[in-house]
Amino acid sequence: MTSPAVSAEDVTKRFGATVALDGVDFDVAYGEIHAVVGENGAGKSTLIRILGGVHRPDRGVVRLDGEECHFASPHDAIAAGIVTIPQDLRLVPALSIAENVALGDLPVRRFGPLAMVDRARMRAEAREVLAQLDFDPDPRARVASLGFAERQLVAIAKALRRRCRVFILDEPTAALEKREIARLFSVLARMRRQGTAVIYISHRLDEVVAIADRCTVLRDGRVAAVAARGAFAVNDLVGAMIGRLAQEAVTAALSAGEPLLEAQPDGAATLRVRERELVGLAGLLGSGADRMIRGLFGAGSEPTMVAARGDKRRLASPADAIAVGIGMVPGERALGLIMNQSVRDNILLPNLDAFARNGWLDRDAGDRLVAEVMELVDIRPRRPELQASALSGGNQQKVILAKWLARRVAVLLLDEPTQGIDVAAKLQIHALIRGVVARGGGALIHSSDLGELARLCDRVLAVRQGRIAAALDRPASLDESTLNNAIGG
Amino acid sequence: MKRTPRQWNLAGQMPLISLIVLCAATALLTNRFLSPFNLTNILVQSSIMAVIAMGMTFVIVGGGFDLSVGSTAALSGCIASMVMLEAGIAAGVMVGIVAGAAVGLANGLVIAFLNVNPFITTLGTMVLVRGVVFLITGGAPVSGETGLPGEFIAFGSERFLGIHYLVWVPAVLLAVLSFVMHATPYGRRVYATGGGREAAYLAGVPVRRVIASTYVWCGALAGVAGVMLAARLQSGQPTAGEFYELTAIAAVVLGGASLQGGEGTLYKSVIGVFIMIVLGNALNLLNVDSYWQRVAVGAVIIAAAAAERLRSHRSQ
Repeated sequence: MTSPAVSAEDVTKRFGATVALDGVDFDVAYGEIHAVVGENGAGKSTLIRILGGVHRPDRGVVRLDGEECHFASPHDAIAAGIVTIPQDLRLVPALSIAENVALGDLPVRRFGPLAMVDRARMRAEAREVLAQLDFDPDPRARVASLGFAERQLVAIAKALRRRCRVFILDEPTAALEKREIARLFSVLARMRRQGTAVIYISHRLDEVVAIADRCTVLRDGRVAAVAARGAFAVNDLVGAMIGRLAQEAVTAALSAGEPLLEAQPDGAATLRVRERELVGLAGLLGSGADRMIRGLFGAGSEPTMVAARGDKRRLASPADAIAVGIGMVPGERALGLIMNQSVRDNILLPNLDAFARNGWLDRDAGDRLVAEVMELVDIRPRRPELQASALSGGNQQKVILAKWLARRVAVLLLDEPTQGIDVAAKLQIHALIRGVVARGGGALIHSSDLGELARLCDRVLAVRQGRIAAALDRPASLDESTLNNAIGG
Repeated sequence: MKRTPRQWNLAGQMPLISLIVLCAATALLTNRFLSPFNLTNILVQSSIMAVIAMGMTFVIVGGGFDLSVGSTAALSGCIASMVMLEAGIAAGVMVGIVAGAAVGLANGLVIAFLNVNPFITTLGTMVLVRGVVFLITGGAPVSGETGLPGEFIAFGSERFLGIHYLVWVPAVLLAVLSFVMHATPYGRRVYATGGGREAAYLAGVPVRRVIASTYVWCGALAGVAGVMLAARLQSGQPTAGEFYELTAIAAVVLGGASLQGGEGTLYKSVIGVFIMIVLGNALNLLNVDSYWQRVAVGAVIIAAAAAERLRSHRSQ
């Protein structure tokens, strides 16, 4: 094999007590597409952030063309030719396509000491690189006017213009439709022919099988498997990714009871969560599954009609939803917590009315409840006065759950409850969700991790373009590609 | 169940320590500082600003900002004086405070329900309300033919238990309002809304109503301050209260509140007021040129805010 373009040798990275990467070896050659797969919290993001200069490894080295390199910032990595396209693309929507492509390295015309942006050249250059991607927009159009797939092409064009040698894509297909994925793959195939080294992070294993020359599976911060093209199939990857988690999963379904929550979030199909039932919502980024969750919590742009234990209710705000026994864990932890307030205040916030005695708060009763739920969900450290921002991601997520457990909500809505948290915390959160359900509650979970939904849920609803497109019972008996097809990937 | 002790961290007491250091330094430099006359003067000067700063604390903790308090105080002072001349002291005081609350309500509704930026909204009301004050008074002080009622003027200058009535007002308000902010569900919701509006909304807090309510507090307290000012000046002065908003905001920030919202304490804001007033008093006593006084006060505000940022940056 040719010598690697970039390699990580024995890289270890800790965040506080969490070991995100533990002695990982990884490399990619010029003209190779190397996929990295793994569950949420397996260490994929940490690995590409180290390669991209965002984090510095605690141990081990990163080599570029065999030379040891120490990037102090993402700028250094970009200057060295390692360009990352993050999931959110990092474009400036208010600027034109041409400006975004040129950003950070604007072509200028000099008049003595004065420098002026050479707009004509900027547009011509943008048109040229975009043409390589078979994309021919007006370079003066604002990026805000483009759809996600087109924005992604703009981000790729920006990387191409910088003559990147190592190209890292983080979950590039999460929001793409089939046709758009095909176009992206042809762009990647062309980059491969031109000798670019491509690192491709994905959840979607069928894609990895289709395009990758090599695949590294990360699990719990370690390399669980590396295989060359032809030597892996979807089922092997699932096995490698899930590993011991496979034993955790697939508990016997409890017998579901009475309906707790019913609604028609798309105006047609009925979404129903019953007692002792875990329902999954599967959908690509932009499918509207996350908006469905918000809507059911009364936080959508319009009020929602739901039936809570059979009672018709109009939910115009989260307060209305909370009043009928619904709790929500939002997709971003910053929306679930007041970061500059204590764990105690955060847990009590939706429970304040329960502790009001003649208009003032019964502090002792509040403290008792906080201590109780902190013990129950195992928030570490057990210090209710600590600011929420001081906790690890997994513990923050547990505080958000604790708020609703303290209220004993009947229905828990969860949007990506385990995104970006370590495996141990993830297992605890799964156990807590199962606990709510075992006590007679219901839960509705949206996750982009199909393996997670398959293991956790009794029923999975596939969401496409804001509509419930299919319902799958006992998803654990299905394989990942069936789920993938259902959500339109 | 063991109650977690309130942590007494030194950094959180910076405002108080600064005030003590400032007083000690001034006392060493001039023996006039500790004279009863001077200390009384500082208390009386601080009292009106303290009431405004408490209202400002509600707004800033709730994540907002209010530039209109100076104009509102002038409006309340003038309206209170006009009503008082016709209908008696109680009615005058009441209507003056209600007028302030009404300005606050208008600010709050525009900011919370129309989502207009608080800086712009209250900049607008600051100018607008000042215009209204000049319109209703014709630009002249309000004191009637024979002056405002004697009891009202006595309230502005006399003492109860050896302390000026004007000083009792913020003392009582501080006790009551601290209770509201820290020990009621409403108070905790104000902190939550300022600390993270969307997160508070998703926890069931009616954030728009909470935000609007903070401006009502601020307006009503500016109204109280306006009435106190009228008593002290023995008339409703249409030009009163200019630049009060700046001093009040500076005091709240000196007291450790965050302009991002969610952080701040009433008593620390009052300490911030003392710092501002004592600083001015000290510079006067030390015969510092008044132009240089402005430079010094401005520099102190920026230094305090920068120190705060550095500290919170390091703790993260």
